[in-house]
Amino acid sequence: MGYPTTIDGILGIWTALALMLFVYSYPLYKENQLFRFAEHLFIGLSLAIAAIIAIQTTKRLAITPLMEGKVYYIVPILLGFMMYLILHRDYRWVSRYPIAILVGSSIGLGMRGTIIPNILSQIIATITPPKPGADATAWFNFVYIGIGTILAVMYFLLTFEHKGPLLYPTRLGRWVIMIGLGAYFGNTVLFRMAMLSGRAQFLLQVLGLVPF
Amino acid sequence: MSQETIWDRLQRIDRRVIYWLLFILLILPFLRPLGLPISISPQSRSLLEGLRKLKEGDVVVINISSGVSAWPECLPSLVAVSKVLIQQKAKIIYWTSFVDGHMTFEKIVEKVPGFKGLTYGVDYVHLGFYTGAEPTVAQLATNIRAIFTTDYKGTPIDQLPIMKGVNSAKDVKMVISSDTGDYGDYYIRQWRIPYGVPFAEIGIAMLFSNYQPYWPEIVFGMTGGAKGGAELEKLIGEPGDATVTMDAINTSHLLVVVAVILANLGYAATRRRR
Amino acid sequence: MAEVVRREVVYALTAIITVIMIADFFLAIPQVNAVAGELRTWATIISTMALTLGAVNIIRVHSRNVRKRVPGVWYHSAFLVFIFALVTLLGLTNIDNPSANPVYKWLFDHAYVSLGQTWYAITGFYIASAAYRAFRARNIDAALLLIAGIFVMLMNAPIGEVIWAQIPAIGRWFNDVGQVPAMRTFLIVAAFGLLAFGFRTLLGRERGFYGEVA
Repeated sequence: MGYPTTIDGILGIWTALALMLFVYSYPLYKENQLFRFAEHLFIGLSLAIAAIIAIQTTKRLAITPLMEGKVYYIVPILLGFMMYLILHRDYRWVSRYPIAILVGSSIGLGMRGTIIPNILSQIIATITPPKPGADATAWFNFVYIGIGTILAVMYFLLTFEHKGPLLYPTRLGRWVIMIGLGAYFGNTVLFRMAMLSGRAQFLLQVLGLVPF
Repeated sequence: MSQETIWDRLQRIDRRVIYWLLFILLILPFLRPLGLPISISPQSRSLLEGLRKLKEGDVVVINISSGVSAWPECLPSLVAVSKVLIQQKAKIIYWTSFVDGHMTFEKIVEKVPGFKGLTYGVDYVHLGFYTGAEPTVAQLATNIRAIFTTDYKGTPIDQLPIMKGVNSAKDVKMVISSDTGDYGDYYIRQWRIPYGVPFAEIGIAMLFSNYQPYWPEIVFGMTGGAKGGAELEKLIGEPGDATVTMDAINTSHLLVVVAVILANLGYAATRRRR
Repeated sequence: MAEVVRREVVYALTAIITVIMIADFFLAIPQVNAVAGELRTWATIISTMALTLGAVNIIRVHSRNVRKRVPGVWYHSAFLVFIFALVTLLGLTNIDNPSANPVYKWLFDHAYVSLGQTWYAITGFYIASAAYRAFRARNIDAALLLIAGIFVMLMNAPIGEVIWAQIPAIGRWFNDVGQVPAMRTFLIVAAFGLLAFGFRTLLGRERGFYGEVA
């Protein structure tokens, strides 16, 4: 995609830039009406697009099969409408039925799916030593991960007071967790800055200082 | 009364100064690229090795669970992976859990020249939008046609040659997810573990931390945001958007690191004085 | 009787569906598999229809602002409701392909996309100011967090290697090994938490979803 050449294309990218600057006027200057305008425009657009996509997808998933003869699809459609009764104080309880289906499905699927990857595989990976011939670094890493995981799990034994024999292991466990969170923070900064750099690049692209 | 030092003044600096400094430091590298070399992570290497094992005709699902908002982070990896899949002559099925996912698909097609020689509906397809979190991902693993009856343009799924004989995880050789949230977990729980479909994650940088415990046994490869995208671009020898973004990452990260160090030096200086 | 219908039947339904989903995984009984599959499709349909629930609620709130002429706010709310109505109507002109409407497509491509990317990126500013104003190494815990964070940041940025050749190696260690115990612990602990939560739901003791305290 090069620099747009059509009127609506040029108008589009300059509108996009203006809206971006309206939003960034809040951190870079102070709260103002332009920021509020952009904020409410975005909320209105997001809600409308979500509504359109919801209607479109419902038509595809439920209405079309219903029209094609699968009469039982009336049940999930009715359940979907029952969800909206959550907004009515007196009939809020009716929405519990579709929520029960959502909750039951999600919890059942989560429970059945979590044991192998999140418990068994993690324990196996923790206790599996390096292959024969591995260097000292690999063994150090193995010991660090093994002991570190045990200490960090001990920190989450929240039904026991962290004193006496638990005092020092849980403190070390907390340090291990802090190291992990620090690395997570480092990756978070990468994420945020990459997103912001995309906006900086867009500014320059619209101004014609860098190519699209 | 003690005199106010430079550290005291620095501690009270208006945050807008930092915001403006950051914005300027993000803009400058695009005007004057630094072009510093990028180191490659073992996770990116194992991702590429896994992709290179695919054979002609293997069906690969790419789940786009990142919107246009996350393009700087996720799009470069999606583009690089699509290029490799085309080189491997794999069949690619895209689908998305974001309402604007079709824009990501169209952007991928625009940025990957290899799609020009392919036929939509035969070599690749975008089935469209789905919602419903884990129940829907689980249903896709057993019956794709229960969720998608058409592609994103409205063409009935049975009229698409690529979908012939493909209706569940058993018919898919690999699933790759580009995430900003939990969908990778769902694919691990509902595709990878029950059906053994190899899974890779090419999402935002934060998810690199989340999925590190799974690598390499459960997640055979992964990239972490824009840096991961730049690594893939370097590995396949085709620098792209992520490589350009890394220059801005240099200056912004340097600012954050300097800010943290300066702030802590100031904190130590003022605390000692008190 | 009303209480049974409003509560007990709901808890029982949740438990039955949870059991069906678990049984579907472990048992190869066609009837169970078929019912589980159908329930998953229903869950998808319900989730899809519920996408607009948030929209309905927000429009209600903003419509109230307009009705009551809340000072400083009502005209923004009126604009929001207007935009929602306009774009929804534009999309409904061709529900199978809303982008066929040129105004809808223009607003989607240029306003929605730009604003979405902008809002998502605004946190970059806040993380920079937080780094300066809030991240203090007040104790060993905070110091460890900052040290790990700084090395990973400098590993992610190619300039780290220019500053000191060992930074990528140390940062890589923090990223590939250092954080694994913590992340693995979160996975294990969260998995046990999910199992405990699931069993409480099966027993009808977990009622938060329904707006009740157990």
